[in-house]
Amino acid sequence: MSAVLPSRIAKLNRLRCSIFQTIYNPTGIRTGAKYLRARLRGPSMMDYYPVEMNLSKIARRYPELEVTDEDEEQRFQDIEDRKKRGKGAPKKARTKEEGRRSQRRR
Amino acid sequence: MPNIRVLRDMKARRGVLDNEVTRRAYLYVARNQSLPPQVRHQAQLQLNTFGRYTRPTTVKNRCHESGRGRGIISEFALCRFQFRLKALAGELNGVRKASW
Repeated sequence: MSAVLPSRIAKLNRLRCSIFQTIYNPTGIRTGAKYLRARLRGPSMMDYYPVEMNLSKIARRYPELEVTDEDEEQRFQDIEDRKKRGKGAPKKARTKEEGRRSQRRR
Repeated sequence: MPNIRVLRDMKARRGVLDNEVTRRAYLYVARNQSLPPQVRHQAQLQLNTFGRYTRPTTVKNRCHESGRGRGIISEFALCRFQFRLKALAGELNGVRKASW
């Protein structure tokens, strides 16, 4: 019994792949196809946390409803009042030096 | 108002969803041994530029109630203590104290 030549087996594999429409990769080289083949995980990750509805989201999504958020309005009003009194938030230190200098003054 | 850590996790999940396809494309090029090494190297450098809120490894299941990162039972999305509280109160369907 003569052994089959490896070239014939390779030809057979190529034919098989063309018939069944699979990829022909005789050397088994890594093509990175597994990253394309795998299913996307993004949507299932987003489904983990339940969607939390609050007033600000409704106000943003449906502007025609004209939802007024009283607490938010009150907060803005409070900030304005503090600024008028001179008690607004201090200016942000742009560098580490500026931050340190303001601490030292106290 | 959820925990700041939960908010960061939500941000990461959002980022992963938005960038997943581009990341996969770059990964394909970077891991393809039949492409020239310069192209693969370029793709890998591009992959390195992605921020932390786009990588799927940053995403961590957190407890819905307490925002705890450890001891999470994924099926209920609760940490072990919250799971115990809810199970004993009967708020979890089909969960009862084991005895056999």
